[in-house]
Amino acid sequence: MLRLSWSSFVERWALFVGALVTVCFGVALVQSSLLVLISAATYQLPADLSVLERARYGEGTAIAITLSALTLAFSAFLAVFIVSSTFAFTVAQRRRDLALLRLVGGSRRQLHRLLVGEAVLLGGLGAALGIPVGLVVMRFQSGLLTMLGFAPPGFAAEWRNWILGVSAGVGIGVALAGVLVAASRAARVQPLEALRDTGESARVMTVGRWVIAGVFAAGAIALVVLAPIGGAGGAPPMAINAALCASVAMSAISPVLVPVVSRLLPSGAGVITGLAGANLRDGVRRSAATAAPLIVLVGLVLGQSVALASFASAGELDQRASTVADLVVEADGPVGPRVAAVAGVAAHSTEVEVPVTVTFTYDDDVDVEGGSGLVVDPVAYARFHPGTDAVAGLGGNAVVAGPGRGAGTPGSSGELRIGDTAAGPLHVVAEVPSRTGGGADLLLPGALVPADLLAQAPSRTFVELLPGADPATVAGALAGIGEVSTLDAWASRDAAARNATSISIFLVVMGLGAAYAVIGVINAGVIGAAARRTEFAVLRSTGLTRMQVVRAALVESLAVTGIGLLLGVGAAAGTFVAVAMSTAAMIGIPTITVPWAFVIAVGVGAVAICGVTSVITTVAGTRGNPVSLLAARE
Amino acid sequence: MTTFSAPRTALAAVALHGVRRTYGAGASAVRAVDDVSVEFPRGTWTAVMGPSGSGKSTLLHCAAGLERVDAGRVLLGDTDLTTASDDQLTQLRRSRIGFVFQSFNLVGSLTAQQNVALPLRLAGSSPSRSEVRAVLAAVGMADRARHRPRELSGGQQQRVAIARAMVTRPEVLFADEPTGALDSGSARTVLALMRSMVEAGQTIVMVTHDPAAAASADATVFLRDGRVVDRLIGATTRDVADRLVALEG
Repeated sequence: MLRLSWSSFVERWALFVGALVTVCFGVALVQSSLLVLISAATYQLPADLSVLERARYGEGTAIAITLSALTLAFSAFLAVFIVSSTFAFTVAQRRRDLALLRLVGGSRRQLHRLLVGEAVLLGGLGAALGIPVGLVVMRFQSGLLTMLGFAPPGFAAEWRNWILGVSAGVGIGVALAGVLVAASRAARVQPLEALRDTGESARVMTVGRWVIAGVFAAGAIALVVLAPIGGAGGAPPMAINAALCASVAMSAISPVLVPVVSRLLPSGAGVITGLAGANLRDGVRRSAATAAPLIVLVGLVLGQSVALASFASAGELDQRASTVADLVVEADGPVGPRVAAVAGVAAHSTEVEVPVTVTFTYDDDVDVEGGSGLVVDPVAYARFHPGTDAVAGLGGNAVVAGPGRGAGTPGSSGELRIGDTAAGPLHVVAEVPSRTGGGADLLLPGALVPADLLAQAPSRTFVELLPGADPATVAGALAGIGEVSTLDAWASRDAAARNATSISIFLVVMGLGAAYAVIGVINAGVIGAAARRTEFAVLRSTGLTRMQVVRAALVESLAVTGIGLLLGVGAAAGTFVAVAMSTAAMIGIPTITVPWAFVIAVGVGAVAICGVTSVITTVAGTRGNPVSLLAARE
Repeated sequence: MTTFSAPRTALAAVALHGVRRTYGAGASAVRAVDDVSVEFPRGTWTAVMGPSGSGKSTLLHCAAGLERVDAGRVLLGDTDLTTASDDQLTQLRRSRIGFVFQSFNLVGSLTAQQNVALPLRLAGSSPSRSEVRAVLAAVGMADRARHRPRELSGGQQQRVAIARAMVTRPEVLFADEPTGALDSGSARTVLALMRSMVEAGQTIVMVTHDPAAAASADATVFLRDGRVVDRLIGATTRDVADRLVALEG
């Protein structure tokens, strides 16, 4: 059986290269994310860093760990999804070969063993190729983390010997997971199918696909319903995962959806379009296999980008609504007295941001929370941030839970550290309302923070002008203290800065994932065309020129791409609903922000990739004399 | 019921009793095989002929256990194919039934000798190279043992396919248009090969459109609309062609 696996592998290499590439990149991504994750988790910060740098990189490392974990989970999901869909497609393309084996005495068990043998071979080879590719990806990922400021300069993920075993296991594991369902199905092929030349004799829409579609659709609906009650922390991941579940569901039922949507193709638009439409409906498996990675790509990218942009907009609206001020001065240290001395200033609230760590000790547990603290004057803070009267409780070692909510709840007590400096015990006595865009985790009285730390820390001072004072004049006078902006300008800059982390995370996780999904799309195109040489030859011998065949295949491919994009948008719609409901629950206004330039770029990119793949594969598939190809077949 | 049996020998190699096979349902139902009873005696070569759509191929598939029948019984020797499980049918294809088809159906990735050895390997035995070479030599293909199907002509591929079918020494060889894709020279070679196999005691059931091929057989069974309508024994090419024209008219 192994020899048969090997010989069919050698013979149909074009079909298998696609599967091999998906395994290779899946292994590379998983291996790299795992090594980066472990390196980030065990990373020791250089000893010569200052207290504040240490705290900043400490926070960055926490983000790097989360980020690598996210990339790891996402890579594993994509690897299983794309490898399964590619393997199922390659097995389906060989249905006639498999029936032939049944005809000459192959049992179901032998067919199953043959396909599993191939999967082990492909998984092993894919892992062997994926391990060196993973080293390149790892260097890239480490560089990206440093570039985005999540890791200090000089951070590099380290190689570990045991990863060889893990990567081999991942390669063979995803290949096996990918082939098992397809193999069981293919083993049930009837020997008589070898005598039929239709190729597409099997039902594409199976019970298994319905079950997957049902389970994931239910998951998507549950996430949409739960997102609004998830709060600022829970809503974004739930909304984004709704698109993930919906895109898997959409991919599973794509054999039903593709022919339905294909009927929207203009009829009577000429023989080429008519032929493309007919091929689209007839080759349901091919169309569905091409659309599947597109649906996941578009669903995830669109869902995540719209969710992040919308929550950022909602955060900005919330920030803007919860602060009343005429001007904002950004400087270093407590500049309040200098601001107060400027003519035309009626009132001010200076808020200094310091990195904090709080160690809460419970009966049998120690919990260390890190985040940002804001040193404020309670009276001034309440004046500039309506609804935060609870801040009046600040004083001594009594602190208030801030709008970011990252460290402690009213009633808890712990040990405070500002950066690396112990600052004594604290008691959380009250909380101000939480905000969508986040913010400080703790509001602190000035007495808790050593003066030298306070002097270096960044601050923002909200300023209210005296009636009749000229804003431009006052701003000019304040410019000597720090950077002066209007409240609107500051709010959008602040939101953008908060959002920068999310966007970086998006770029790292999605960028690699999207690249992998693009490989899946190209693969499906190549595998689909590899089996169509005879069909193309028949078309040419019927009177179509080579260019006409290429055009028909291109129209078909563009139509599948359009359908994939449409279904991807459909999958992302779950996220849109979740985002609208969540933002309405958080700030009272449903907020949807679409990053149009990005969305259009994804659409155009997908069309270009599919179009180019189609043209190249069809040109390759129509090489040679069609009549001699058909004759050779007889 | 239409029954045209050859003089009954001890036990027919294959026997169909009251076999029915219908495709589709309701108004669009087509009875491809309609209450057919026929026996194929051991050591004989029977051709099955008839106009297009007369049910020839379906009859062959039912007789070989490739297609389930709706009614009736199919016996291979004393084994009832109609009640056999999938595993039992697989065993039969390995040991007692051989197939040859118009489109050769060789595994493209394997050489001629690997194709021939395939049924034995699937059955769990490892045939010696000389054993496989001997079978290839019997069909005149010993010198092409290491070629892949695409490196062989149509006639050569069909001879490899026959060698693959014969390597298990099956009780019955089922052939569906074995000369349909061949030029007349190659067709003559293949028919001569099949004749020599029958002389050595092989049972062959062959569907064909070609009166010359049918005339090479010992007997010809004619089908129309899923029913056996005639049987000729020892007929010439002209006899077969005339009978076929009469049926199509």
